[in-house]
Amino acid sequence: MKKTTLALAVLSALAVAPASALASEAELMQRINQLAAELDKVKAELAATRQKAEAVEQRQEAQAASQPAPSDPSAGAEAVAAGPATVISSYGEVNYNRPVHDASKAQADVARAVIGIEHRFDDKTHMVSEFEWEHAVASSGDAGETEVEQLYVERQFDNGMRGKAGLYLIPSGLLNTSHEPTAYYGVERNFVETAIIPSTWREAGLGLSKTLDNGLTWDLGLTTGFDLNKWDFSAESEGKASTLGSIHQEGQLARARDLAVHGALNWRGVPGLLLGGSLFTGGAGNAQSGFAANDARVTLWELHVRYNPGALDLSALYARGTISDTAALNLQNAGSATPVPSSFQGWYTQAAYRVWHSGDYTLTPFVRYEQFNTAKTFAAMPAGIANNAGPDQKVSTVGANFMIGEGVVLKADYQKFHNDSALDRVDLGFGYAF
Amino acid sequence: MKPAHAASFTTLAVAATVGHTAWATQYLSVEQAQRALFPEATAFQPDDWQLTPDQMRAVERLAHLPARSVHWRVFAAQRGDQRLGYVILDDVVGKFELISYAVAVLPDARIKQVEILAYRESHGFEIRSAAWRRQFVGKTAGSGIEIGNGIANISGATLSCTHVTDGVRRIAAVAQVMLKK
Repeated sequence: MKKTTLALAVLSALAVAPASALASEAELMQRINQLAAELDKVKAELAATRQKAEAVEQRQEAQAASQPAPSDPSAGAEAVAAGPATVISSYGEVNYNRPVHDASKAQADVARAVIGIEHRFDDKTHMVSEFEWEHAVASSGDAGETEVEQLYVERQFDNGMRGKAGLYLIPSGLLNTSHEPTAYYGVERNFVETAIIPSTWREAGLGLSKTLDNGLTWDLGLTTGFDLNKWDFSAESEGKASTLGSIHQEGQLARARDLAVHGALNWRGVPGLLLGGSLFTGGAGNAQSGFAANDARVTLWELHVRYNPGALDLSALYARGTISDTAALNLQNAGSATPVPSSFQGWYTQAAYRVWHSGDYTLTPFVRYEQFNTAKTFAAMPAGIANNAGPDQKVSTVGANFMIGEGVVLKADYQKFHNDSALDRVDLGFGYAF
Repeated sequence: MKPAHAASFTTLAVAATVGHTAWATQYLSVEQAQRALFPEATAFQPDDWQLTPDQMRAVERLAHLPARSVHWRVFAAQRGDQRLGYVILDDVVGKFELISYAVAVLPDARIKQVEILAYRESHGFEIRSAAWRRQFVGKTAGSGIEIGNGIANISGATLSCTHVTDGVRRIAAVAQVMLKK
């Protein structure tokens, strides 16, 4: 029995053993199936991840293709820190002039409204434009003007030189390239930098400039120049108020047979100090048939200094222009009210002091004395019909700029015209720039 | 601007500007600027600063400017175990475009030197001149880092030099708050 029991036990054990082996095999199969399913899942996820990674890579490659590779890995940080590619700017001024001895001539004027667009094409190329309305309304029956004040593209080269092409501001004097109402003292732009150096003076052409490490900036350019054919000999001639302002071309179907060259040097090597000068010269006759001054050459040079170390702001400027070979033209127009001068010149000196500064508000009174003559000399004429030089105009201005933040200015001044007190006036102005 | 808003503004600003390229004259890479600012250093360790709301308020009090950023990119300049100071990186808008610059501060929060990394404006490249940048040396947030009051203007580049000067004053204030605990 014992034997039988044992045999049974062995048998049953033998019988059970394959059975349990079979069971674990099934379990194993189940597990394998589970694993296979999981593997499929992982495979699918991996494929999805790979797809995503490829998409990201493609995007990065596309971005890299549109951007120059940074010269060093850490430079990438700067690329990220760039601002938007297109920027809108604007400035404007509304002025009120009231002659103190004749209030009937008082007037208010939206003197300038300007919209600018700057656009960066890439890390070295950008476009600058300014579109301006003068005197609020421009139409055939109105006194206003609409004009393109600047329109150029500037490219930076690897050696730090900058080249530009288009219509750009001539780097002459202190005001021309920095002409926003927030940048100068007084309601109206100073006389020397409107009557002797035209304002806002721009020409179409090519320019090169570079700023050196020692604070010296040089500019060179080849551009259009003035057109003496436009000279108005009448009593109402604009040439009396601004010699070159009356014959500038402003890129408007400009006569360009005669081109002009200009150069400027500005040194800012000592903090607060600016020392500079410029020269512009070019033919103004443009070989027009029958014109008596086809050899005429306009030359304008100036020297300027500004010292603005702190609250004090001092500046001075001297400018002188000449127009050569005008004798025959003036002879042709002998006896006219406004002959072409052979030279014109002016200078001013100005002192401003920031007396009060609190939060966003800054009050800066200033005084300016200027002397200018748009008809300093004339070419020699036969006896009896010689043209007489005009008087040196002398103007003193005292006033103040009240700045709100860095973009808004309220101005008030009094201008004393030493040659003709009937012109003495009070000016009030509002301006902004951003 | 409240600190929380300042932080989100910074994030937004960065997010918005990624992908644009810059009109830039890059004068120095970050590495070159580090070496120019601390030539005697043997190592520069990333050591970014994170300001708490209280610290932001302290910066605003010292600089009289919005603290602007919660996060500042900073490298600690080391010479062996000795900490020589810190290089702090920043960008400010000049007239239209960003100016990238780096400020070296000493462990006592005084300004050691300022370097311009990239300048993108059409005018005002003169802010790079050593003579102008030298005006910041040795100053702190409260000691004349202001245009017309310790720092001279650059004619024709008033906005660029004003904004860089304000930026350096803000960094001087951040350094003072972070280093003089």
